[in-house]
Amino acid sequence: MPDNWGFVLAAYGLAALVLFAYWRRLIRREKELSASMPGHPMSAPASRTPLE
Amino acid sequence: MTRALGWLAVVGLVAGLVMGFAVAPREVTQGNVQRIMYVHVPSVWVAYVAFAVVFVASIVYLARRAEGADHVAHASAELGVLFTGLTIATGSIWGKPTWGAWWTWDARLTSVAVLFVMYLGYLLLRGMIDEPERAARYAAVLGVVAALNIPLVHFSVYWWRTLHQPPSLMKPGGSSMPRVIVWALLVNFAAFALVYLYFLARRVRLLRLEAEAAA
Repeated sequence: MPDNWGFVLAAYGLAALVLFAYWRRLIRREKELSASMPGHPMSAPASRTPLE
Repeated sequence: MTRALGWLAVVGLVAGLVMGFAVAPREVTQGNVQRIMYVHVPSVWVAYVAFAVVFVASIVYLARRAEGADHVAHASAELGVLFTGLTIATGSIWGKPTWGAWWTWDARLTSVAVLFVMYLGYLLLRGMIDEPERAARYAAVLGVVAALNIPLVHFSVYWWRTLHQPPSLMKPGGSSMPRVIVWALLVNFAAFALVYLYFLARRVRLLRLEAEAAA
């Protein structure tokens, strides 16, 4: 059977894209909420680093 | 803690890629396209875990009315839908070169599609009800009922004649797969489980924040 690398790339690429998009969505929403609640501990600069 | 979990998930994903592409051999029958399994199978396992968490958290919520349990159920349902969607999409991409079709209405594919739609309904139900307490209560009931579909998905390949192959790892009598493939699968599952835990922690925190903002 041919290796069909295009299909492999599509599957892994899609997985990476979906997970990255979801992560970005969480970060963006968190930033929006933190900005709307200035006094909240979540809006501290230390909690705005990418993976935290 | 969440930050450490995030980096651990990144390391896990890199290890999973190394195992899937560099360590695991080219499969004899399917060729390299079989490597899609290292995304497809861990995705559905994590989806099962996510829905099991919804089930437990929903029971806890119904018993104690704990807001935290509702947040966990909500976040886990969202992630379950995400990973089930990924399972369906990667399965479809794998199906085309091996079965000759993107989709077929066989028992496993259909039951997974039903599972996906049920939890999508769970999220829609939550979004449709304005009152948070009522939304949480209705969703908790659905979270318990919908979990009944998980065994149906897993055993569908035994109960009906299907195109989808039966489980290669989680089957009676143990796995028949070469050890290196099993390890590649397990490393990728661990990586996806870490991604799930990281997303769960962030999503629960976000839900708590949204509840505080709305209060």
